[in-house]
Amino acid sequence: MARKKGPAVGGAVSPNLIPMIDIMFLLLLFFMLSADMGQRELEDVMLPHAVSIKKDDEQDTPGKERLTINVYHRYAQEVKCSEFAAGRVCRETVHWRIGVKGRDFTDPENLGGMLEADAKEFRTDPANPMISERKVMIRGDTTAPYGLIQGVMNVATKVGIYKIECGAARPADADEPKKGGGH
Amino acid sequence: MSGSSSIGEDGGENPVEINVVPMVDVIFCLCLFFMCSMHFKQLEGKIETWLPKDRGVNAGPPASVVLEEIRVFMRWTESGTVRKVGNRSPAGSDEELMAVIVQMADDYKRAGKSEFPVLIDALGDVPWQDVIHVLDMCKVANLERIEFAAPMEYKPPGGGGPK
Repeated sequence: MARKKGPAVGGAVSPNLIPMIDIMFLLLLFFMLSADMGQRELEDVMLPHAVSIKKDDEQDTPGKERLTINVYHRYAQEVKCSEFAAGRVCRETVHWRIGVKGRDFTDPENLGGMLEADAKEFRTDPANPMISERKVMIRGDTTAPYGLIQGVMNVATKVGIYKIECGAARPADADEPKKGGGH
Repeated sequence: MSGSSSIGEDGGENPVEINVVPMVDVIFCLCLFFMCSMHFKQLEGKIETWLPKDRGVNAGPPASVVLEEIRVFMRWTESGTVRKVGNRSPAGSDEELMAVIVQMADDYKRAGKSEFPVLIDALGDVPWQDVIHVLDMCKVANLERIEFAAPMEYKPPGGGGPK
């Protein structure tokens, strides 16, 4: 019985790379546009959840910029903390850092000096020369001890800053807040 | 970009052959770099908690002393954060806590008071999330004036008492 021969295969088969290049360019464009290579004013902080938060869009408005103070746990490369790694509250004060624009201001004196210099140019009311109109946003980690944030508020108050904003994130399953009645 | 014939193939009509394989390698590397450096940001917002101008550690005695306040004490225990309003018994749930706060606010309003801030007096080891949660519930209940109790600063005798 004659063997059936298969189809003749002629020469090497070269894959068509053009669609793959198209896809690669699209992916590259997407990741380049979504990348943030600027100076990190916002540290990687897990913000506490709140439903009554207001949209934060003033930061991009010229003349309405504010100072952002981050209160976050030191990274795993610097300090080993099993409590923080497990998502529990870490109450070791030395494990936490207060950072502004990437610089460490954990020392209250350093923080006070920086805030004083920053608040000075926003003292516009001659009747209240110590009151500064500077806005400060405190982005505290959700597991941070309240004492740290309280300390930052104290230092801010001492230099006349009263416009304090607390950073928070809206829970993923939260609706718009329903206002209570009677007030 | 797509053409009718594959680039790299021997084409009798195109004498200039462009080898795109190195370009694909470079693009792969760039994609890998940007994928590793990308992270999803959480939707952030802000809660305004402007401190009173006329009070605080920097200011002198206020022009008018507000006696009506709704003080929420918070302290942390092994079983969680304990919250109570004034000298009442600790609240067992968010609803119980807010019921007391709202009741006190209503009482002040009926008495004709207009200034009755909610004062959050939490110890230093209370998690920040719990403090924000109480702040959030008060904002939802339309209690806009919320203040934070500052720790008393001790000054030795002769140097003036704490304000």
